[in-house]
Amino acid sequence: MSNTDLIIFAVLFGALAAVALIRLVKGPTGADRMVAADAADTLICCAMILFALYSGRGIYLDIAIIGAMLGIVDTMLVGRFLEKGRREKHVDAAEDSQ
Amino acid sequence: MRKTKVSAVIATFIVCYAFWLLLTWSVKPQELIAGAVVSLAAALFSARFFIHEKAFWLANPAKFFTGLCYWLFIFPGELIKANVNMAKLVLGGCKNVRPGIVKIPSELQSDYGRAALANSITLTPGTITMEIAEEDGQAQYYVHWIEAESDGAEAGEAIKGRMEKWIRRFWQ
Amino acid sequence: MSMLLKIVSDVLIAVGAFFALVGVIGILRMPDTFCRMQASTCVSTLGVVGVTLGGLIHALFVAETPMAGAAVKIVVIGLLILVTSPVGAHAIAKGAYKAGIRPDKPMETDDLGRDSE
Repeated sequence: MSNTDLIIFAVLFGALAAVALIRLVKGPTGADRMVAADAADTLICCAMILFALYSGRGIYLDIAIIGAMLGIVDTMLVGRFLEKGRREKHVDAAEDSQ
Repeated sequence: MRKTKVSAVIATFIVCYAFWLLLTWSVKPQELIAGAVVSLAAALFSARFFIHEKAFWLANPAKFFTGLCYWLFIFPGELIKANVNMAKLVLGGCKNVRPGIVKIPSELQSDYGRAALANSITLTPGTITMEIAEEDGQAQYYVHWIEAESDGAEAGEAIKGRMEKWIRRFWQ
Repeated sequence: MSMLLKIVSDVLIAVGAFFALVGVIGILRMPDTFCRMQASTCVSTLGVVGVTLGGLIHALFVAETPMAGAAVKIVVIGLLILVTSPVGAHAIAKGAYKAGIRPDKPMETDDLGRDSE
């Protein structure tokens, strides 16, 4: 039985990730770019699952696990940075005015 | 800083060791021993961040099966409904969106229950929890909603749906 | 029997691909930042669930040699993304709001802005 369907879906997911990168390049704010990057990360994980099943090699699944773990870390990092960056600027402004 | 409880360490150790077994997927004795040592070290360091309340609440079978029922049947139902709704919005040209941030009250008391409801709301497409504030012992959720209505009570009914009732049964 | 399971697994993966497509179109075409976040949730819920279940069926029943280790890893990846994606979405939404990002068109209701004044 052939596995051609899996590689077709894997390429489709990879193409979707590439399309999501348009927003990463265009996006007016940092939050837009991070949302697009997060979606692309998730889509690449899906493509890797499908490619691992197609080729029969488990090593791609390990890479997908690491990708999923690091994806949440960088999303949290940028989220905290957006939140804290504003607050520190605010505090600095308040100290300057005193 | 919070003190590390023994029960919290044991619960964290079990979770870490299960994860190790799943990832290595072998029963050679040296891998089992190495996994136990590493999981114990990780549990000692991270238990006080990982477990905040009672460690073994899952040991109650009634609560366990209610929780399982919620995560396997009730929640996926809400998820599919919201996803189909979102697909209609997007394929209809993204024109019919009425974004807004609404404030909805919740009667859940425990931290785990509040976090579970917040994550359930965020996971359903169309709603994202932005902030949880506490007023008079009641949690207030600020939810960004893509089809917002200004009336508070109706909004809470439409967003929470059946989810809050089910979560209250296993995480009061 | 194996043919039937192959069709079921393909249909599940196709459903996942459809919702991933919806999410990506939403990310590209929605009018403001918060609405784009809402659309991206589609990718990390039903998109991932579809691929995970389809891949699980494929690894256990359709492949010539059943891959139990691969099936377990696929479930771990799916659960990991499902558990962590709301945390990331919450962090980004709160950060964007605190950083002063607002949609061009005023929002229908803004309880958070009203209460934090």
